[in-house]
Amino acid sequence: MDGVLHSNQHSIGQQAGSDTQLLPLRPASQVMQLERLGSFHQSRLSFMRTLVRRMVSENWQITSPVFDLDEQGYGTVVYQVEAKYGTFSYVLFSHYLDPDNRNDRVIANQWDLTMALCEGTVDAEQLEFLRNNVPKQEAGRVDSRVLVLSRANRSARTFDYVVDELTAGRQPCIDVIAEVGYLYRTTAAYGSGKLGMADWEKVRTKHPDFARPFAAEMFTCFMLRHFSMQQADYLAAQRAPQTATVLHKEIKRYIGIGNSTGLGMAPFLINHPLLINQWIEMRETALARVVAASEVGVDEATLARLEAATQRVIQHLSEIVTADERQNNSNASVREELQLIHQWLQEQGPVLASNRYVWADLIQYAEQSCRIETQEVLNTLLIELYPELVDGLEELMGVDESMQVMPEMPVAQLQQIIEEKYDWALAIDFSQYESMGAFWYRSQEKMEPRLGQTNIDMGMEKEMPLAIGRRVRECYDLLCAYNQAYPQQNVAHFIIQSPTYSGIVSRIQTMAQSQYGEIRENLVHSDVLPIHLLRCKLSFFGVSKFDPRSRLWVRNTMFQGAPLISDFGKPFVDDWQFPIKPVLTST
Amino acid sequence: MKVSKNELMASLKKAFEGLGFQPGDYYDAADMVVWLETHGFDGFDRLQAALAYLNTTAPNHAVLVQEDEHNAVLDGEDSSILLCGSEAVDLLVAQVMQSSVAGLQLNNCYNRTFILQRLVKAAQRNIAFIAYWRQEDYCVKVSVAAGAKLPEYSTFAMTEILEPQSLSIFAGTDLDVIAEQFAAQLVMGPLLETYTEAEMTACYLDSLEQGIEIDEALWQMLEDLVTRILVESTESSRAGAGD
Repeated sequence: MDGVLHSNQHSIGQQAGSDTQLLPLRPASQVMQLERLGSFHQSRLSFMRTLVRRMVSENWQITSPVFDLDEQGYGTVVYQVEAKYGTFSYVLFSHYLDPDNRNDRVIANQWDLTMALCEGTVDAEQLEFLRNNVPKQEAGRVDSRVLVLSRANRSARTFDYVVDELTAGRQPCIDVIAEVGYLYRTTAAYGSGKLGMADWEKVRTKHPDFARPFAAEMFTCFMLRHFSMQQADYLAAQRAPQTATVLHKEIKRYIGIGNSTGLGMAPFLINHPLLINQWIEMRETALARVVAASEVGVDEATLARLEAATQRVIQHLSEIVTADERQNNSNASVREELQLIHQWLQEQGPVLASNRYVWADLIQYAEQSCRIETQEVLNTLLIELYPELVDGLEELMGVDESMQVMPEMPVAQLQQIIEEKYDWALAIDFSQYESMGAFWYRSQEKMEPRLGQTNIDMGMEKEMPLAIGRRVRECYDLLCAYNQAYPQQNVAHFIIQSPTYSGIVSRIQTMAQSQYGEIRENLVHSDVLPIHLLRCKLSFFGVSKFDPRSRLWVRNTMFQGAPLISDFGKPFVDDWQFPIKPVLTST
Repeated sequence: MKVSKNELMASLKKAFEGLGFQPGDYYDAADMVVWLETHGFDGFDRLQAALAYLNTTAPNHAVLVQEDEHNAVLDGEDSSILLCGSEAVDLLVAQVMQSSVAGLQLNNCYNRTFILQRLVKAAQRNIAFIAYWRQEDYCVKVSVAAGAKLPEYSTFAMTEILEPQSLSIFAGTDLDVIAEQFAAQLVMGPLLETYTEAEMTACYLDSLEQGIEIDEALWQMLEDLVTRILVESTESSRAGAGD
């Protein structure tokens, strides 16, 4: 068994379930590089994918007991959701918004739509309470009956166009839809107890339907997608009851929800290292299982599925429209390199059916011949081939995030751990200006995280503690001196002497027991690319069509290609990733 | 008004950061407040008392005064358990790991009830604790069995004069062993009151289901502290968010 996957790697522990043999996982030194994390794509374990599988297979019933919109599409809608274990209400308020006030940033205070996902049914009194608070978003307060609060803005490019076409009895041009991908963009989906909502612990323990990370938030976006198309159909019917048509089902499946994600998401990855570790470990476990599945070769049907998926990605990437030159170049390069992979498979020919660990060889070929983005596309495609090996991991995406100091540890051992696990941090030369050329801070405007330039922007004294590498370096230097003076002492005594380092000590000791939690990058370097952080998290959400608007924020599309509510309960092949333009058949 | 546990944690962490706490400290301090409040120990009242002090001084920690194989004495230097509770428990845990039982006295410290959360958390490492201290004219005794999720909390009449701002903690692998080892120091007067595990559990579950009731003035006080860590927004700073 050769290939880069098989040397000097960690192995998955007990948590991933039924593996009887230890599977080789890629090393953190490879996986946790920021550029690689920023090249991840959605996989079968992404939260949108797992949510859709659940809704379809459990045949969730969704009705709209309140659909009170005026002829302009403004008003109130309540969807009632009968999931497997509980009843929920998705409450939506549609408002007029002056186009001049349409702003996707977190600092906005008006939106086209505001929504809340609530437990149980909603009576008139609660609806009134929600009407008084949900449209205010951060400026309002809700209560623990609410699981998620969200908002969305119309796409100026598509919404009116689609309604006009439907009103005229025509289907919208698929090229226009492809260029944008959605009718509405969501700009935030708050859960986990913010603004008085239910705690994640309550959601996790009381509502099994949403007991996976971000499941309720993703559902909120899925329902927004449903409403966006229902509203378009509704408006067309209002305007031309005799001649209007409704969106073709294939177009509906191809319409997603837009999303704008900025720096607000970036600190999450640094502040939740155990959760990030869990997500990535499960993804790496999936990949390792796939490689193991090719131990005695790969059959023709599997190769054919990979071939078809590869061609689909090539088409998907060719259909992405972005003004970002770097992303355009990247998409073009990935397409070319996927053709190389196609050629490699062709050249290998019949031996693939009998060669040992075919996928390991393919991955090795990609690592030697392709850019990181292409490597990760390939990994995603391979994971797609084996749902029976992968999908069970979706139940293991949550984790207890408690960190704990191990005070009895000898300081020499802690020093050794830093040298072994944080070698990447010790390798950074913090005496260089560029190494501390940036800093993260929270703005007075809605506490929005921002990135400042050292000695240029205000607020360095209020820096957010996201420079993990630098903090580790400082701790290490102190620890070395302490160890030299008191070589027999333990961590408890080191903390008493240097109490302000207890936080980083706790983090180092806790994370030393995991593999993938720490992002191996100096996040305060002048040239840091936060967009990689955003994209990593978004890939676990399950978005597609990344459209960077700067190095600090990115637009993308959610649920594009996913089944519709009308598809629930029907036979379903879960392969809606990398959506491509539909070829229309009859309605 | 009602807030969620997560929301309260987030606000407390930032508020303590605004008071000058470092990352490890503000995580621990927020944990302590939330645990007390959600388990029915008047965490907000105790927090207000603590803030009155913490808001007037720079954060300071305890210093090690004396130590041998089984015992340690720390001087809290008039600090709050919110700041020095973790290091005291950590030191005790380290001693127990080496010598199976240990005792620690933390002098000159305030807000001692907050130590409950630290003891419960440390107990998850299979260590048992007994702590006691004088509270006004009675004595508080807290026992946490190894691995227990909740403490036993009782108050007793005082039989001897205890230092008013002192906290004593004993630790070992088993509650009975601790009680036997430190029997001479654990003589209490008549039992006054016991707060049961059932009451703590009910309080916690209610806070999870309904949210946590907090006085708006205290919430505003926390919000005001949070503003200390925020940076003024300017046209230039908006560029740092992607504009």
